[in-house]
Amino acid sequence: MPEERYIGAFGVTGWATRSGSDLLKHAERVGIERTKTQPTTKRGRGGKIVSVSSKRQDVVVRFTNPRGEEVGRLENEAAAWVSTLLDQQICKFEGTCVFAPDRVRTNDTIYLQLRCFMLKVAFDSGGFIKPSESNRQAGIFETKETQDERNLRLRQVALVKLFDEINLHPSKVNSTTEKHKRQGLLQAAEVAEQYEKQGATQGTKPQSGDGSSTPPSDDAEEGEELEQDQLDTLYKKAQSFDFDTPEAEPPETFAMELRKYQKQALYWMMGKEKDEKAEHKQMSMHPLWEEYIWPTKDVDDNDLPEVTDQPTFYVNPYSGELSLSFPVQEQNCLGGILADEMGLGKTIEMLSLIHSHGLESESSDPLNGASVLDLPRLPRNSSSVEPAPRTTLVVAPMSLLAQWQSEAEKASKSGTLKVMVYYGTDKKVDLQQLCCEANAANAPNVLITSYGVVLSEFNQVAANGGNRATHGGLFSLDYFRVILDEAHFIKNRQSKTAKACYEINATHRWVLTGTPIVNRLEDLFSLVHFLRVEPWSNFSFWKTFITVPFESKDFIRALDVVQTVLEPLVLRRTKDMKTPDGEALVPLPPRIIEIDRLELSSAERDVYDHIFTRAKRTFNANVEAGTVMRSYTTIFAQILRLRQSCCHPVLTRNKNIVADEEEAAEAADAANGLADDMDLQTLIARFTADEEDANNFGAHVLTQIQSEKNDECPICSEEPMNEQAVTGCWHSACKQCLLDYIEHQRGKGEVPRCFNCREPINSRDVFEVIRHDHINEPDSPTIFRSDASSGTQSPSISLRRISCNQSAKIDGLVTHLKRLRREDPGAKSVIFSQFTSFLDLIEPALTRDRVRFLRFDGTMQQKQRAAVLSEFTNRKKGVVLLLSLRAGGVGLNLTCAKRVFMMDPWWSFAVEAQAIDRVHRMGQESEVKVVRFIVSGSIEEKMLKIQDRKKFIASSLGMMSDVEKKLQRLEDIKELLS
Amino acid sequence: MALPKRIIKETERLMAEPVPGITAVPHEENLRYFDVTVDGPSQSPYEGGTFKLELFLPDDYPMTPPKVRFLTKIYHPNIDRLGRICLDVLKSNWSPALQIRTILLSIQALLGAPNPDDPLANDVAQRWKEDQNAAIQTAREWTAQYAKV
Repeated sequence: MPEERYIGAFGVTGWATRSGSDLLKHAERVGIERTKTQPTTKRGRGGKIVSVSSKRQDVVVRFTNPRGEEVGRLENEAAAWVSTLLDQQICKFEGTCVFAPDRVRTNDTIYLQLRCFMLKVAFDSGGFIKPSESNRQAGIFETKETQDERNLRLRQVALVKLFDEINLHPSKVNSTTEKHKRQGLLQAAEVAEQYEKQGATQGTKPQSGDGSSTPPSDDAEEGEELEQDQLDTLYKKAQSFDFDTPEAEPPETFAMELRKYQKQALYWMMGKEKDEKAEHKQMSMHPLWEEYIWPTKDVDDNDLPEVTDQPTFYVNPYSGELSLSFPVQEQNCLGGILADEMGLGKTIEMLSLIHSHGLESESSDPLNGASVLDLPRLPRNSSSVEPAPRTTLVVAPMSLLAQWQSEAEKASKSGTLKVMVYYGTDKKVDLQQLCCEANAANAPNVLITSYGVVLSEFNQVAANGGNRATHGGLFSLDYFRVILDEAHFIKNRQSKTAKACYEINATHRWVLTGTPIVNRLEDLFSLVHFLRVEPWSNFSFWKTFITVPFESKDFIRALDVVQTVLEPLVLRRTKDMKTPDGEALVPLPPRIIEIDRLELSSAERDVYDHIFTRAKRTFNANVEAGTVMRSYTTIFAQILRLRQSCCHPVLTRNKNIVADEEEAAEAADAANGLADDMDLQTLIARFTADEEDANNFGAHVLTQIQSEKNDECPICSEEPMNEQAVTGCWHSACKQCLLDYIEHQRGKGEVPRCFNCREPINSRDVFEVIRHDHINEPDSPTIFRSDASSGTQSPSISLRRISCNQSAKIDGLVTHLKRLRREDPGAKSVIFSQFTSFLDLIEPALTRDRVRFLRFDGTMQQKQRAAVLSEFTNRKKGVVLLLSLRAGGVGLNLTCAKRVFMMDPWWSFAVEAQAIDRVHRMGQESEVKVVRFIVSGSIEEKMLKIQDRKKFIASSLGMMSDVEKKLQRLEDIKELLS
Repeated sequence: MALPKRIIKETERLMAEPVPGITAVPHEENLRYFDVTVDGPSQSPYEGGTFKLELFLPDDYPMTPPKVRFLTKIYHPNIDRLGRICLDVLKSNWSPALQIRTILLSIQALLGAPNPDDPLANDVAQRWKEDQNAAIQTAREWTAQYAKV
């Protein structure tokens, strides 16, 4: 490249600074110069940075006539950046006068054209211009920017403005960042400027203007929290895993079988560690750079001298850096972030890497150059840091140390891997002696320690004035590899633990975490800083390109940049991922779906039939009148009621629905001459009769009942009785026998009487006997306890009204749950219904049977939801989760459950399947049994048929217009009501 | 159809602890069908007689009562010529808590306490009311004639 090269021209106005005739004529050459290259700032006596007023004078750019006389100066806006380009020796300008009055007076406007040449030296500076070497700690603007940072900023702005003025556009940019780049850059610079001014006017109170929204409390983490959808977007990008990634086989010494995706991880990790530049390197341009083509003609359309082999140049508008050679996107960190979701085997993957790289008998690893060059030797002196060429340091939370140890031993053929836990009393060794190169043959290959140990040794070293080698601790070595497990432990870069971890020396650096970003972009910074990924590990750099845009609400740009940081660094697979053939990464245990067909009790059937008749009548009337489409809402509301009455008759009286529907139905009813549904009211009243406490009985009654508990059932001779139940006259039989008998007598049109004393039985006065012998819930109220005469503590019992106001589905559910509790006491279940009001009715039934349950629905706050989910997951004993079909939410993971109960069918099975998949997904280790409750001989059975035909799937996929959908649904309704 | 547990248990108990004066043996080919004998109670006109009955347990037993009929000819106001018995526990007063054993005991008791006010055999009842001694005499004779083994 020549010393200077033309890049473009632009017009600019100037002001005359003196008066006179013939000072400057059209087309005369004009010299452009800075009065003197004043330093843009200068240090004051106290190290303070110079005042604002002097800065303003700094930008003055004067122009002279061919005789070298100063004529005027450029107007301020242009001068601001032209001065920077001149000062920083990036450009040179040649001016031509376009117009100047013959007689110039001070302050007259003079029009100039400036031709701009890039200077060779600007490209020579090379390498990154690092804004600052120190990793500044606190808030974003809490200390003044350094001189370097200020220069950088001015340079960025100047370059952007120059290219804007000369209308030079990049010929190649990274498409994802393109549209946000310049704007964001200027914005960032302006924001910085504002803070600078603010800081200046506020004198020395920089803390108050720290620019972030977080309060300056001690444990506050900087940066704004990410919204869930932003996190999702980020992860989605990071998860674009290429299933064709080659696989690597672990060596012989590795004793476990790897799954395909784990072998791919091994391949990827080995690539990261070996950093073979030639191989497998995509020659893509660094995303922050832009490519420009040198102009071939100047502004007057004259050809420019050609420079062979250099048609282009490159600009990094973020760093203001210029380059003539292609900026390759490269990664200089030997390691990365393994962010596979929990359960995919990060530990195993890491162990396979330990076996594959670093255990070689010869230490001929070219990467370990430093240690290879030196011959094995004993520690030279006590204050030096020794290489530990065979040792991988694993830092994990204390609770995982044992697990790491056992996994490491399990994964290795015996004698191939020396594992050592460095914790507590095990710490009484001189690690430096043990792991140094001279002792390589006996050094532990895996050294496992906790974050706590790292922190406490860090404090010791710090107290010792930074002498790392003190008593041969963790910091006295330069490890072959370091691995941080559960690395979100260090997400707060200001925490001491994080700082301690940064100080660990190792050639290869890895972090393992299922959540590289917990809720702030800065979480990722800490990992990147630990990994020493240049230039992102520099907080100023990070701040300018990620934090500032993000906090100025330029989310897309910030996230795009994060994405470019993440992509080469992170390997993340989720349990939900499917291979292109649609197979899961890890095969799932089977899923068994059974349909439990239930019979409605006669009382329920009455309600159902009533609604059914009415719905059918409405429909037929509308068909005849040709008003089906208009009364669509009414009809649909009635179908809804019908479906609800399959669940529980009381549901049809749900206020919301009734309100909705009553309006619509009233008109239709009136037209059809239907009276108000008094009948229905009475029918349902049977179910709403308030439950009085069935336990207000004398102890003697309960004693008597209890004494009969082992007797045989007088009706079926079962011994002991199957779910003992009693009449209001306190005679016991199996629940089912008793109910059957009552039903039998009713069927004959007789008043039900007691099988024993022939007293008439009020059907509400039938009680189930609940025992509390094997349910030892401390929170369950003791209704009756102990039989004094027997002298032994006998199990307590209580009575529960059976009557008939239970719904068949709730009965069915409770029966299933009780059986499950007997057979598998620790099993957890999930219950789905689309009617939250039905869940409301299920709750008391579960309470009565002492079934422990949790509730999760759409009305809950995010925090509550999280609390419910974590309790459900962490509870050691069996528990039931009531979930509304719709509130499940994306990504809900309920794999700790192994039973699913679907209380009611949805129009399309796909929706139900989605719900089931929350339980039956990656991480599920046992067979999942799904029970779908369907009332036989009801609308629900017909819905199943419709599900099979998949009509509603088509409509829910949006493949039909609204009218088509309605027509289709009406067809279905016709079938439903047939 | 499998035999309900209740019927099996009742049968076993009838065998294991028979009621004095009563036998009930199920048919081998139909375990719901029993051959029954009831001894006439002492101090009754039926004393010394052994009466044969048949007893059948319907499908919905014990929701519905067993069907019982005298096979032996008997002179009794509550038992008709076809052997049908008029007894409340076999009809409206049936309860599933009752069993074969209790039903047969009730029948035996009925022999000891005829109730001509609720007759099934009207002619017998009529006679029983008009001339009780003659009626009892006839009953004794029938017993001797038909119910002696």
